[in-house]
Amino acid sequence: MRRGTITVAGVGKEFGATTVLSNVDLVIEGGSFVTLLGPSGCGKTTLLRLIAGFLEASRGTIAIDGAPMQGVTPRRRPIGMVFQNLALFPHLDVFENVAYGLKVRGAPTAEIATKVERFLGLVGLAGFERRRIGQLSGGQKQRVALARSLALEPAILLLDEPLSALDLQLRRQLQVELKAIQRQLATTFVFVTHDQEEATLLSDTIVVMEGGRVRQVGSPGEIYRRPASPFVARFVGDINMLEGRIATVTGTSVSVDLGHHRFDLPPSAIVGQPAAGAACQIACRPEAVTIANDTNNGLALEARIDVLHRLGPTVKAMLDTPLGPLTALMMAGAPQAAELAEGKTVRVAVPSDTLTVFVST
Amino acid sequence: MRGATATPRGLGWLLLPAVLVLALFLGAVALLFLHAFWTKDGFSLAYFKQILDRADYHEVFLRTVSIAAIVSLTSALLAYPIAWLLWRLPKWRNLLLVVVLVPWLVSLVVRTYGWLVILGPKGFLNEALRWAGVIQSPLPLIFNDLGVVIGLTHVLMPFSVIATLSVLLQIDNRLEEASESLGAGALETWRRVVLPLSLPGVFTGISITFLTSMGAIVTPILLGGIRQKMAGTQIYQEVVYNFNMSKASAWALCLLILSGLGLVLLRTVEAALVPKADK
Repeated sequence: MRRGTITVAGVGKEFGATTVLSNVDLVIEGGSFVTLLGPSGCGKTTLLRLIAGFLEASRGTIAIDGAPMQGVTPRRRPIGMVFQNLALFPHLDVFENVAYGLKVRGAPTAEIATKVERFLGLVGLAGFERRRIGQLSGGQKQRVALARSLALEPAILLLDEPLSALDLQLRRQLQVELKAIQRQLATTFVFVTHDQEEATLLSDTIVVMEGGRVRQVGSPGEIYRRPASPFVARFVGDINMLEGRIATVTGTSVSVDLGHHRFDLPPSAIVGQPAAGAACQIACRPEAVTIANDTNNGLALEARIDVLHRLGPTVKAMLDTPLGPLTALMMAGAPQAAELAEGKTVRVAVPSDTLTVFVST
Repeated sequence: MRGATATPRGLGWLLLPAVLVLALFLGAVALLFLHAFWTKDGFSLAYFKQILDRADYHEVFLRTVSIAAIVSLTSALLAYPIAWLLWRLPKWRNLLLVVVLVPWLVSLVVRTYGWLVILGPKGFLNEALRWAGVIQSPLPLIFNDLGVVIGLTHVLMPFSVIATLSVLLQIDNRLEEASESLGAGALETWRRVVLPLSLPGVFTGISITFLTSMGAIVTPILLGGIRQKMAGTQIYQEVVYNFNMSKASAWALCLLILSGLGLVLLRTVEAALVPKADK
């Protein structure tokens, strides 16, 4: 097991009568970049604070590198934390902020100076030692908070939506740097966000949470291609959802009925227990909807272009089809893209291997 | 970060009360100057010379400044734990705040007489100690400087509590969590984070209690020694019994100058102790 592995087993948390987390099981691999992703109120920050030790779980156990953390105060855990509002000490300058943890530990002055220099260098703030916190820009404060929590070289760094207050451009830049720093240090990063794009960009593993439960754990690619529920499908990336019904089920294929269309899918594309006659939702990503005359297996539809967005590198078309609205996304350079116009009727195809079917329960 | 707000037109009259108060204050100070330098024998510095010459007057001013200093520091020390507790117990805060402020519902004179009952030679405290066999004869707790310090501290401490609490309440509790996650225990966090950030409130409290003690009249009259005057009681006596407005004004000006010097000293110490915590 690599240093910085977190094992969460059967953890639940109640605040009074409100259940915030129910029965969370999760293993966070040491040295990986893991994102807790979900809408506000899904319990992601609560889980982070439980790992940090600022909250005590109502049920279940949390262990770090095999050692149970019950009753261990935050200061005794091998954890650093970057707070949402950063919580920099306003009465101390940049150097003293970064040196804080080392001073508390009674590190020798020379060591403190070396480490502060190293970590300020790492976050690109060399030369800012004597600046006051109030004199820094938002991005610089971010870097100080990061350096401060890394200076003690914790096995695990927890980050609670630290970039949410920044404008998009700065945010993108810091995301890239954050990822590079994580790679360089091989510290376990647990990052809380509600921004799926941020999660996709940063993470080795995304933990999708909703309603106090973990809905799916996987790499960004897995979660995008094979979402485990309609919620995950909608939350991570854009998606088209169509209503249908399971027609027949055999050992090797499942036949799905969608109005006047019917197509066969392998059982691996079905989420849930398929039974003949059961209602289901058919999901496909906008980029899977192509302008084409026909397809071997899947959906082939006549569609009217309602709205056309030319977004620079891509073109997004809102289509009106007999099955309901569909969104199609293609590269602007694609041969078909140039001919599209609002009000025009086109043939669209959705290959069956891009479809995921969720059986309704 | 508060941006500069544009002043809406036509709201200048809102300044009127402030202007009136300022005008009255400046008028009073002008009168003070007039009286102090323009005595019944015309322009004269006699009363200032008298203050500079007489050792017993030096003693009065020295006592005034010492008592004010002791009262303001004692208030600050006693108020800090109370303010800290109020800050730490948000559920009890309002109730405890009422407890801190409830003495203000009773008039100053009545409260001060209350101390006579407790601290007097035949008072509760002395009788209890004598009954317990700790002392033979009553301790001189009252009608001296100690009595004045006790009385003034009692009256003024709530100001220190409120001044300190208001600053504590502005401290983001994530700062404490950050300190804890960086390895600091509760005491260390208090010393390195909470104390430095709450010092401005402590200094505000000291300023208020110091200035108020400098001008105290009722408490020293009731709880002080007959011969142990403070500047305020001396001025009171000159105005009410001797009708010597010029002498009283000279005293008041000297008191004003000493108070101002005290304030400057406090600001200097504060500036040295508290690094600018810009938001």
